[in-house]
Amino acid sequence: MKDSNLKSNRFKVSDYVVYISFFGIFALFSIILYDGGFLTGQNLLNITRQTAMISVMAIGTTFVLSAGEIDLSIGSIVALSALITAISLRMDLNIWIAVLAGLSTGAFIGFVNGIIITKLRVPSFLITLGMMTIVAGLARWITNLEAVPVINDTFNYIFGNGKVFGIPILLLWTVIFLVFGQIFLKKTSFGRSVLSTGGNKIASLFTGINVDKIKIAVFIISGVSASFAAILYTGRLEGARYTLGQADLLLVIAAVIIGGTRLSGGKGTCVGSVVGSLIMGMIANGLVLMNLNIALQMVFRGLIIIIAVSFSLRERKRL
Amino acid sequence: MKEPILKMLGISKSFSTVEVLHNVDFTLNIGEIHGLVGQNGAGKSTLMKILNGVEVKDSGNIIIFGKEEEYNNPIQAREKGISMIFQEFSLVSSLTVSQNIFLTRESHNFLRLLKDKESEKNTIKILKELDVENINPNEYVENLGTGPQQIVEIAKALSHEPKILIMDEPTASLSSHEIESLFIVINKLKKRGISIIFVSHYLREIFEICDRVTVLRDGNKVFEEKILNTNLKEVIAKMTGKEQDLQVSKRKRQIDRSKPPLLEINNLVVGDIVKGISFKVWHGEIFGIAGLLGSGRSEIINSIYGVYKKKKGEIIIDEKRTSINSPNDAIRAGIAIVPEDRREHGLILDFSIKDNILFSVIKKILSFIFINDKKASKITNDSINKLNIKASGFWQVVKFLSGGNQQKVVVAKSLVTDSKILLLDDPSIGIDIQAKSEIMNIINDFVESGNGVIFVSSEFDELVSFCDRILVLKKGEVDSIVDCGIEANMSEEILLEKIQ
Repeated sequence: MKDSNLKSNRFKVSDYVVYISFFGIFALFSIILYDGGFLTGQNLLNITRQTAMISVMAIGTTFVLSAGEIDLSIGSIVALSALITAISLRMDLNIWIAVLAGLSTGAFIGFVNGIIITKLRVPSFLITLGMMTIVAGLARWITNLEAVPVINDTFNYIFGNGKVFGIPILLLWTVIFLVFGQIFLKKTSFGRSVLSTGGNKIASLFTGINVDKIKIAVFIISGVSASFAAILYTGRLEGARYTLGQADLLLVIAAVIIGGTRLSGGKGTCVGSVVGSLIMGMIANGLVLMNLNIALQMVFRGLIIIIAVSFSLRERKRL
Repeated sequence: MKEPILKMLGISKSFSTVEVLHNVDFTLNIGEIHGLVGQNGAGKSTLMKILNGVEVKDSGNIIIFGKEEEYNNPIQAREKGISMIFQEFSLVSSLTVSQNIFLTRESHNFLRLLKDKESEKNTIKILKELDVENINPNEYVENLGTGPQQIVEIAKALSHEPKILIMDEPTASLSSHEIESLFIVINKLKKRGISIIFVSHYLREIFEICDRVTVLRDGNKVFEEKILNTNLKEVIAKMTGKEQDLQVSKRKRQIDRSKPPLLEINNLVVGDIVKGISFKVWHGEIFGIAGLLGSGRSEIINSIYGVYKKKKGEIIIDEKRTSINSPNDAIRAGIAIVPEDRREHGLILDFSIKDNILFSVIKKILSFIFINDKKASKITNDSINKLNIKASGFWQVVKFLSGGNQQKVVVAKSLVTDSKILLLDDPSIGIDIQAKSEIMNIINDFVESGNGVIFVSSEFDELVSFCDRILVLKKGEVDSIVDCGIEANMSEEILLEKIQ
């Protein structure tokens, strides 16, 4: 009894599953695709570029899940924010105003999500499910299903195809988001309040945390991070379309969970979420290089998610 | 006599149409430990919630340090110097000890980044003042046992430097050893001049530690006296309003130990906690297991019920070897349990009394594939009458019952299964004396019709007064099995000595 209390932060394999899986899958593809071009520097940089958007959204989702909530509307927010940014640029607005317009879209939707969830006290799963559909509808309606190209080269450079000292700018954005997200979650009293709200809402309330405010804040963070992902998509693809982000939601949630964030709240890590995203990216990349057809890729991807999640989420059995 | 630190005058409170507090006065002197007692539903929790700002009073005044105060949430109450330690712990289990203690009050550096090291240092300081050395400030609360969690809870309250500390059933989930260390801590706080309100069901504790006691009954204050001027009998009489001794007297039982035993456990090993335990329980016997927290007493019961995995050991029921690997196996073998945590493991809080009771016998009341409602209602009504469950009807949701009545539902649930072995894991935690004695009478009847009971408790007087024999468990091994029949000269004190 005494001893077990003194042993602190004991090593639990489940906390490191994401890193073990990362290196495991990395090693696996390196062997299988030895001649297939997986292990080239170019391909590895490619993976980080392809997963930048998932990583950014995963960081936002880490906050939402840590607070014990879920945001299903992020995929739709990507589409709408991307279109609004692209339209702003087509109107020859300043780049930064266009970016601000995009980010505000996500912030606003997140704010509305948060308000409804906290004031009406309805589960976030249902509210954001509804919001997902509304926003997806708006994205289709706003341009009448048309794609909007972006011809502003500066924008496309800063948010898409640029390089700084040979490093893809998308990778830099991911790192910046990661550093800020991790510090914000782990090292500020706001982050601590997010974790405690997800860990025990009642106790947090009694301790003096404004639980509703925290919840609204995490939905805004989630919305803004989805909008930023949208801006990166727009820069990289040099245009926006209502289909952007459509398939991202489940990938993001899987990445965050595999990364070690608790689905029920109270524990979260941005580093884990980004590594989780990289695993997703690596799997997608590897399966393409193996020349599997789309159908088989989907089957394998699902299988790998199930295996990884069952390692990290297996309930602790007592004794 | 100095001016009291706290005066609550004429406090009344109603929930919808039910008046739970009627014109109650309560005073607390500086540096005093004041016991607040009453049966379930007497209004003590509500009174304390009003003082702590969780509930708002309908009328009456609260005067702190001679000044009338108005507040309506715990945070404001804390600013007035009032802190409360809750019965259900208010800790965030996914944070560490020091993160919990300084939640929302963390120190920052110039970048507004948290300085966890400093919280850690302060935590160590607070714990040291309490003479607690076995809690690591960096341990996650979810990895701590209930005893240490209670200490963390106290440390958290103390970090606010309160003048008035409310402790709501602080000993309910502690072992006697932990209670002792808690009392040392409480006396230390008293020396520091902190005034303490001590709410408890355990009257002996009130007499051990308090200076004064106030008794509530049905929302009225019926008694207030210095501890030195009163006694246990008087307080019980005031609580119940009856001048009778509610202690269940021990029944005289003849147990024929020449016949084969009902249950035989051989060389049971569970994890690295229970290290080879053997014992026998005969028909018509209440067999007690006494041990400190962590001695393995819960593990024994839970492995017999198939919740925990056994490393080794055999279970023999009525001379038949029985393999039990899941609660389902146990039920089939005729074993029922009243688990330690009734709210988590014993009940489905959102279900009605009826649905909770029927839950365990659902197969017996089926007509074809449909539930036979007549049969079901009869079983439930029989149980409610037999156990004297106080409710407005069997449709009432158990969440809204008092602790004692909830526990009765759990007992009813295990009795309707017609099992022959009943496992009781600390069945009287947080329930009032009357409910306890009613439950115990039922258990006595159950045993006397030839069944067997294994009874685990952290209250040794309870063990001594109900059991026929008691196994003394030390660190997962059998120390001795003592006779505790009505003729045996067994007392709580002797048992306490043996256990240490």
